[in-house]
Amino acid sequence: MSPGSAVEDAFRTEWGRVLGAVARSTGDLDLAEESAQEAFASALRTWERDGVPERPGAWLTTTARRHAIDVLRRRRVEADRTSAAARLGERVDAGRAVGPAADPVPEEVTLALDDDAWELDDPDGDVLRLLFTCCHPALPAEARVALTLRSLTGMTTAQVARAFLVPEATMAQRLVRAKRRIRATGISFRVPPPELRAERVTGVLTVIYLLFTEGYDSWAEPAQETVGSAERRALADDAVRLARLAARLLDDEPEARGLLALLLLQHARRDERTAPDGSARTLAEQDPARWRHDEITDGLHELDVALAAGRPGPYQVQAAIAALHDGAGSDTSDDDRAARWVEILGLYDVLLTMTGSPVVALNRAVAVAEVQGPAAGLAAVDAVADASALAGYHLLPAVRAELHTRAGRPVEAATDLRAALELVDREGDRRLLRRRLAELSGVTTGHVVAPS
Amino acid sequence: MRYLMLVLSTPEDPELRPEDAEGAPPIEQWVARHYGSGAAVLGDRLRPPDDAVGVRVRGSRVLVTDGPFSETKEAIGGFDVIEADDLDTAIAIASEHPMAHAGAIELRPVWPLNLDES
Repeated sequence: MSPGSAVEDAFRTEWGRVLGAVARSTGDLDLAEESAQEAFASALRTWERDGVPERPGAWLTTTARRHAIDVLRRRRVEADRTSAAARLGERVDAGRAVGPAADPVPEEVTLALDDDAWELDDPDGDVLRLLFTCCHPALPAEARVALTLRSLTGMTTAQVARAFLVPEATMAQRLVRAKRRIRATGISFRVPPPELRAERVTGVLTVIYLLFTEGYDSWAEPAQETVGSAERRALADDAVRLARLAARLLDDEPEARGLLALLLLQHARRDERTAPDGSARTLAEQDPARWRHDEITDGLHELDVALAAGRPGPYQVQAAIAALHDGAGSDTSDDDRAARWVEILGLYDVLLTMTGSPVVALNRAVAVAEVQGPAAGLAAVDAVADASALAGYHLLPAVRAELHTRAGRPVEAATDLRAALELVDREGDRRLLRRRLAELSGVTTGHVVAPS
Repeated sequence: MRYLMLVLSTPEDPELRPEDAEGAPPIEQWVARHYGSGAAVLGDRLRPPDDAVGVRVRGSRVLVTDGPFSETKEAIGGFDVIEADDLDTAIAIASEHPMAHAGAIELRPVWPLNLDES
């Protein structure tokens, strides 16, 4: 492997560990970022000349630490000098009003220079602590996602900004504020205490899931015409990598592995999610033969491992539903298909009990329609239609339109499709709805005599 | 780090549930535990906002107001100053306070002014 690609490789796998090690020892995320950058820049220079070290991760961490220690020593010298100058100034100023006090030598500088803080060699632990810190609930939700990307995947601020469709300056400010808040509120680079752990694990998994959704949604958008499409689509890959990391580091949490399974089982369908005209494809319109079957196999394995722990949760149940959808290619008869939908409905019942979420109830209504017919499905949709969480959500009228179509009521279906088009904000879904409307008008003009 | 814990009553919080308040641990237990360990260093209950007195100096005149400055339904019912290694430790202590169950706790990190450093 060439030194250049070795650095690239190390960047992908080691960035979080290098950053995490410095962050844990210094409690300073900015310094950790700077030191990690410095270490990778130094690797680019020296690996070419001296060859790739045997343990690139250890080399990078040591180099980053050295840089951090240098910076801290300089800061201490400066702080000493400033406070000496301030003391001198006070004598000169004696008798006048007391000015603002100089910064004392920051305690953390002295602590971080203490050798003990550096001794622990625990790269996995450093990554996990960093993950918990970036996903801390005392940080704003949008900052958690951005900080996780920046700190754990090594994406630059510009790349994170492009992926979230905000100007770079906005994203930079969001990250600066988050880091300031970490310092000001005393968020430490530690694994949370036991009584807070369960809730924090959920928080970490939520961030990874949000990240995945950002990326996965863009796989159902017309790629050519969408700004930042490549960056957004790549977010889904980053999320899968982070989920794999979380599943490994949180080995005692079956939901972490359930999330990994869910992401793998959904992401495997990505190539089939857009039609050539840029419209989103529904599951039924996709060709199961073109799903990524190695990833499905991987996801099914992770799901089995997760379920074996006997502690099911919402991610595991959603993964099980995704697994059943992924089985569509193996249906050899309508009976197979019907049996699959009976199982899917059963799992949605479980998921709805666990979460009580109106979005889950809406998805469940689709399964109800498959098993008990469109009328039952429509009743299930109407039962949740007033939920405030679904207000303005285009999929509510879109699902209703689909079920009206199946029930042979094109006029009602068209009304709902138009309502959905009013609400939709995703181009792929907009084109899908238009396509449906065009299909309907083909049906209605064929059957309905136009008034004279 | 040092944190000020503002103990709030929040009668208009829609997520407030009576069963949470009923299941809250008694205040005596919280005080014994956290003042006993030295984590809490100072604190007390406060008289209601009706007994508040506002003091301002404007144009070298001392203006005194009767009652609180702002009429909000949320009121500070007490405070504690706690010493904690980090935010999570402070959160754990705050979450054991009965008013975290029956109202809300606001943690404010102390921002040292360092006037006595040199």
